[in-house]
Amino acid sequence: MTPQSSPLPKVLAIDDSELIHRLLRVRLQHEQIELHGSMVAVRGLEMARELQPDVILLDIEMEGMDGFEVLQALKSDVDLQDIPVIFISATASMEDRVRALDLGAVDFVAKPFEVVELKARVRSALRVQHLVKMLAQKAQVDGLTGLWNRTYFDRRLSQEVSESIRHRRPLTLVMCDVDGFKKLNDERGHPFGDMVLERLAKILQSGRGSDIPCRYGGEEFGIILPNTSGSEALEVADRYRRAIEQETWPSAVGKVITASFGIADISVLPGTQGVDDLIAAADSALYKAKLNGRNRVEAANINQSTG
Amino acid sequence: MRLTPDDTTLRSEFADDPDMAGIVALFVRELPQRLAAMHAALSANDLEQVRVLAHQLKGAAGGYGYPKLGEAAALVDHAVKEGQQVNVIRSRVGMLAAVAARIRP
Repeated sequence: MTPQSSPLPKVLAIDDSELIHRLLRVRLQHEQIELHGSMVAVRGLEMARELQPDVILLDIEMEGMDGFEVLQALKSDVDLQDIPVIFISATASMEDRVRALDLGAVDFVAKPFEVVELKARVRSALRVQHLVKMLAQKAQVDGLTGLWNRTYFDRRLSQEVSESIRHRRPLTLVMCDVDGFKKLNDERGHPFGDMVLERLAKILQSGRGSDIPCRYGGEEFGIILPNTSGSEALEVADRYRRAIEQETWPSAVGKVITASFGIADISVLPGTQGVDDLIAAADSALYKAKLNGRNRVEAANINQSTG
Repeated sequence: MRLTPDDTTLRSEFADDPDMAGIVALFVRELPQRLAAMHAALSANDLEQVRVLAHQLKGAAGGYGYPKLGEAAALVDHAVKEGQQVNVIRSRVGMLAAVAARIRP
């Protein structure tokens, strides 16, 4: 899994009238969106969680839970609070509009809606949301290599550790460090060093779709391997190791560049492990790989190694 | 606003929009059932249900190209909201039904 990919934006309409859903389906059918709908507020909130839509169209007057309550529920949920909400209402009193905007709605469309206006407001909200998402992603992507950065790595690893503990699923962390990188930089200049990092990133991205390669810092990469045991990870890491070793360098013909790998499987660590323990274990395995001659894979607490 | 008796037909503003033909026809076909439900709620003295049905029509009718129907439904919605007497609400439902009777796709 690498940063990129954007399918059709999703729009979720929550309105208790079937008439409005039919109308929206027809009126928005030529837009480049995927439209979903719910006639019940509570179900609409569930769908918002499942779909993570890019825009929510929300009716104010609904039976049971009304639009204001739905909006409050959305805004108090960290996973949903950034989704822009456009209110749609037949009773557009000024007080209602102000209240909706104050609660965090981004826009307001009166029913019956003018089609052109409705489309324009949905597009406008989607544009803003696209930029917000892009910025949020940019803040998590490493500028040089295009891999996820350290910020993302820390957040994602702690998520994966919790998931792994909760669902008793395997999880392995691989730390990878370029051998003799400082010497490379000194001998051939920083542009060459940068190119090495970019190429290595490409190699790490070309692995299994479920692997999560990140730039940990400097010449060090952290690859999160969800649902992967230590012994599987040994093979995965060794494939990466060989691919790097076999890479040819046009501006340095005959040059062999290698990397060392340290892996830590959460299930073989003693006691209850947090993120820091996992990183520390992978790091000391990496250190062992360096000590044992570099260009090799070492695993924490398992008596296996390759290279 | 006053609705004067009028027996000319009301056609959808979107009658020529091929995208809309299907749902406009469905809207017109279902309209008698919506009115029947409103009358039933009125007979049962369930004014809240009258209001909900009128409110939905008010919000949607214009979208299907029948603004007059939406305005007539709004009068019913407001009458219930304002706590008007049942005979006022009944007469407004009657006016709404008269507009509805003129609706064609």
